[in-house]
Amino acid sequence: MLSCKRNVLSQIMKRTKKNKKKLRKKTLIRNQNPQFEEEESAAEEEGDRGEGFSLKSSAPSHSHGVQPLGNLFLSPSTSNSRITGLGNLRILTDELVLDILGFLGGSHLGVLATVSKSFYVFCNHEPLWRNLVLEHLKGDFFFNGSWKSTYISAFYPSFPVLNNGSSDLKVRDFYSDYLFQSWLCASLEMKREWLERDNIERRRGISVEEFILNFEEPNKPVLLEGCLENWAALEKWDKEYLTEVCRDVRFSVGPVEMKLEDYFRYADRVREERPLYLFDPKFAEKVPILGSDYKIPLYFREDLFSVLGGERPDYRWVIIGPAGSGSSFHIDPNSTSAWNAVIKGSKKWVLFPPDVVPPGVHPSPDGAEVACPVSIIEWFMNFYGATRDWKKRPIECVCKAGEVIFVPNGWWHLVINLEESIAITQNYVSRRNLVNVLDFLKRPNASELVSGTMDRTNLYDKFSSAIEATFPGTIDQLVSKAEETAAKQKKPSFWESVTDAKVGQFKFSFGS
Amino acid sequence: MSMISGDKSSTEILSLKSSDNEIFEVKKEVVLESITLRGMVEEDEFSDTLIPLPNVEGKILSKIIHYCQKHTEARAKVNGSEGAADSKEIKDFDSEFINVDDKTLLGIILAANYLNIKDLLDLGCQKIADNIKEKSVEDVRKTFNIKNDFTPEEEKAIREENLWAFD
Repeated sequence: MLSCKRNVLSQIMKRTKKNKKKLRKKTLIRNQNPQFEEEESAAEEEGDRGEGFSLKSSAPSHSHGVQPLGNLFLSPSTSNSRITGLGNLRILTDELVLDILGFLGGSHLGVLATVSKSFYVFCNHEPLWRNLVLEHLKGDFFFNGSWKSTYISAFYPSFPVLNNGSSDLKVRDFYSDYLFQSWLCASLEMKREWLERDNIERRRGISVEEFILNFEEPNKPVLLEGCLENWAALEKWDKEYLTEVCRDVRFSVGPVEMKLEDYFRYADRVREERPLYLFDPKFAEKVPILGSDYKIPLYFREDLFSVLGGERPDYRWVIIGPAGSGSSFHIDPNSTSAWNAVIKGSKKWVLFPPDVVPPGVHPSPDGAEVACPVSIIEWFMNFYGATRDWKKRPIECVCKAGEVIFVPNGWWHLVINLEESIAITQNYVSRRNLVNVLDFLKRPNASELVSGTMDRTNLYDKFSSAIEATFPGTIDQLVSKAEETAAKQKKPSFWESVTDAKVGQFKFSFGS
Repeated sequence: MSMISGDKSSTEILSLKSSDNEIFEVKKEVVLESITLRGMVEEDEFSDTLIPLPNVEGKILSKIIHYCQKHTEARAKVNGSEGAADSKEIKDFDSEFINVDDKTLLGIILAANYLNIKDLLDLGCQKIADNIKEKSVEDVRKTFNIKNDFTPEEEKAIREENLWAFD
């Protein structure tokens, strides 16, 4: 693996060194002369075609010249300054060094950065500073280009912060796969070929019956066009409007809550591997006008969890995030189906059916945890290629503003925002997957798997009683219908087959 | 030399072999503190067989087993609830346990990482962090045998950039 990477990565490094001056020029000029910038990027694109990866034009230059380990073999000098620079600590892996540094405060990291070149590189590792900011400031941070400078400005306001808190010191002879990969993933743009496959079925203006027959019943994804025409949100929603209407209301962003103005300030400036993602399940309760700016598309109006009223699990989210933000592979909670409508921006989707575990993903046998150790962009770098030769190819698409994707229950999916995006998503239960949902909720480990509610173990009882009260006899009807169909096909129900297929529920968090 | 820990007839005993061929006999429930070993044990029937740990030397493995034993016992006392880790008794044990020389400390960290024993890993990393916190730049270099590889100009620039931290 390492030797393959070596060639590609050393090409990037050569290009990075060549482009170093170019990149810096771009960042300086960016705001002053948009025309100049366009010319530059056209020229760069020609040179980039077909080779390695292309870097974002605003790639942070504070990689400090860290190179991947493979380059050590190619370099004329044989020393890795990591050896003398870390001293006795060199026997630790990079991750362990960072684990230790993670227990230190800001001033400790600042002092340690002056110990040696290696410490300098490690102590400037942005995720360390992000953790410090989120721990001490929660959602009240004023992002000014990097996490380190954000921290310093907040706690040492009289200190003039230049160049995002770190000098342009280039460290020669420092090799680290972990640190290099981290910078690379933060700086990468999506390759053209990752976006080329678009094999989802698209429909416009179909009837609800057609949708149910062709997609909801057979559990197939579809991209629906032209059904958001009555959404005020499509016209109205942009950063200015949302900031004005939401003012000081706080929205869920990863581990913290933030005002929109602060979040947009961060999203506009950030370049990192796993950007913080705004994902709020109570947006319409917090700001009712947002709820009235959209309507559920007619295909998804049957919403059986509504019988629980205020006790229903989380079911609708507003999703806002910069390019590169998104969700790594997961299956939606409680065996529900979902729709996701893009209001601004665009999203790349990769979907796998319930019985196909995506490459690089490891669900636990009981379904309670899904381990996907790599970030979204790293998944594309390392695993996307594998899907090209698979018989069971994923369904893929780019969903643009005004379009809605239907994600059938149980399907694996990964989403990445290709640009700053605003979307609304809802999860729902209709008669078509009611039996599935009930099966899921009554599983013995429901207390770990059920999501979006504080009352996990009782949800099955509450829900089935409420359905029985509102739609008497429906459950029995649907259950016998399902049993008939299953008997004909001799297939176990999706959730009965879970321990065999090693497919299941998940616990995951955004932006971390 | 082997260390018998537990009554063979009532609980399952597993054998762990260190890199320097020391064999430790350990109760299965203690072994399960390590997520790595848990995976090995649950996949195959290892009882009666030796689990070789070529990455961990005997001196370190002995300490790790001691830690795991203590924590398993503490948890059993409160019937497996989360409160065990917070008891004063365990906290006192932990702080004495990790009060070792740097070489041993690094060994424990590497082993806890390999064996995937999160609490022990955190304990070790926190301890090194605490050791570093109190030291000046020169002291950090001396303690860990670190070479100052900055040129004078570089050192000046870096110090200026981080001046806010020096107070």
